[in-house]
Amino acid sequence: MEELDVLKKDWNKINNYPRVSEQEIYAMLHKNSSSTVKWIFIISIIELSFGIVLGIIMSFTKFDAENIKLLKGLGIYDYYRFSNVVIYIVILYFITRFYIMYKRVSTTDNTKSLMNNILKTRRVVKNYILFNIITFAVLFISLGSYVFEKGMEKGFLENGGKANEISLSFHLISFGVFFIVATIFVGLFWLIYNLIYGRLLRKLNKNFNELKKIDL
Amino acid sequence: MSNALEQSFVAQLKENQNIIHKICRLYTQGEDAHNDLFQEITIQLWKAFPKFRGDSKFSTWAYRVALNTAITLYRKSSKTINTIEFETGKHFVSQDEYNYEEEEHIKLLYKAVQQLNDIEKALVFMYLEDKDYEEISETLGISEVNARVKMNRIKTKLKKIINP
Repeated sequence: MEELDVLKKDWNKINNYPRVSEQEIYAMLHKNSSSTVKWIFIISIIELSFGIVLGIIMSFTKFDAENIKLLKGLGIYDYYRFSNVVIYIVILYFITRFYIMYKRVSTTDNTKSLMNNILKTRRVVKNYILFNIITFAVLFISLGSYVFEKGMEKGFLENGGKANEISLSFHLISFGVFFIVATIFVGLFWLIYNLIYGRLLRKLNKNFNELKKIDL
Repeated sequence: MSNALEQSFVAQLKENQNIIHKICRLYTQGEDAHNDLFQEITIQLWKAFPKFRGDSKFSTWAYRVALNTAITLYRKSSKTINTIEFETGKHFVSQDEYNYEEEEHIKLLYKAVQQLNDIEKALVFMYLEDKDYEEISETLGISEVNARVKMNRIKTKLKKIINP
């Protein structure tokens, strides 16, 4: 007899399953799900609120006022504000996507569409991480290097130097230093994201591999 | 209030809970993991219940959603699969026809099934539940031919696990 048919015989004989009462089922209905996609959604919201709260706290400090003054002085404050708005719009878009995916993934009865949804979720999470890191890097490097250069120049001039005396090597060295600092910061940022979402992505990754095996 | 809906759901789930216990048995080991998965499936079923129109039997609909929950949404114990001893004796053998050799063989079979991946377990589950290939293919979203091919591969794989 085939292995599975032996098993089937035994399978149908078993009847000592646990009994869950109606009360227990009622209790379960009001508990929370622990699914991966739900956690992605929750973490992304926590992340966004953390950013917003941090922004609000910063706006009460002197540091922020000085920053704005500096940005205004350099004439790039409007760009800074504009990019902020764009970033928040994109992040909100991602969170909405996460929510829709969470709703869709949790209640499907067809494995293929479920798998496809999970693949999609995985892709969206990856794009989300990529977006965050690239934005951070671009903002940090462009805005930072600009501010850094101008600051250095200003300091140089204030100490009695003349603008045309600033050598090329001065620019190159200051940019080099800045580039190293920026790389370290972006690297740290990348590490943090991988720690937070890496675990969840690995879970979804396993699904991806199984989807490949089933060659739908 | 969706009280009537909730009542009808709870009553039907209680009636059909064995099918979920069966899925939990293939996908988990140990009482805690079993209960965790049962709860997760219950939550997902309840969420999906408003979409259940009654075109199929409750049990058919429930096992499909439950399988998908087991396959993808719940993976707490996936790492411990090969390390925990599978307790067959307690659960799966009826006392009246005690046959040591057969019991050992069945124990081995369950152990072998535990080593399959989640999709393969789903196929095994439907096979054990006497679902035809049409339903298997519909549930998994694959073609009937593909389902048959998978099934044959699983049978070969099980043979290999048991007689290496």
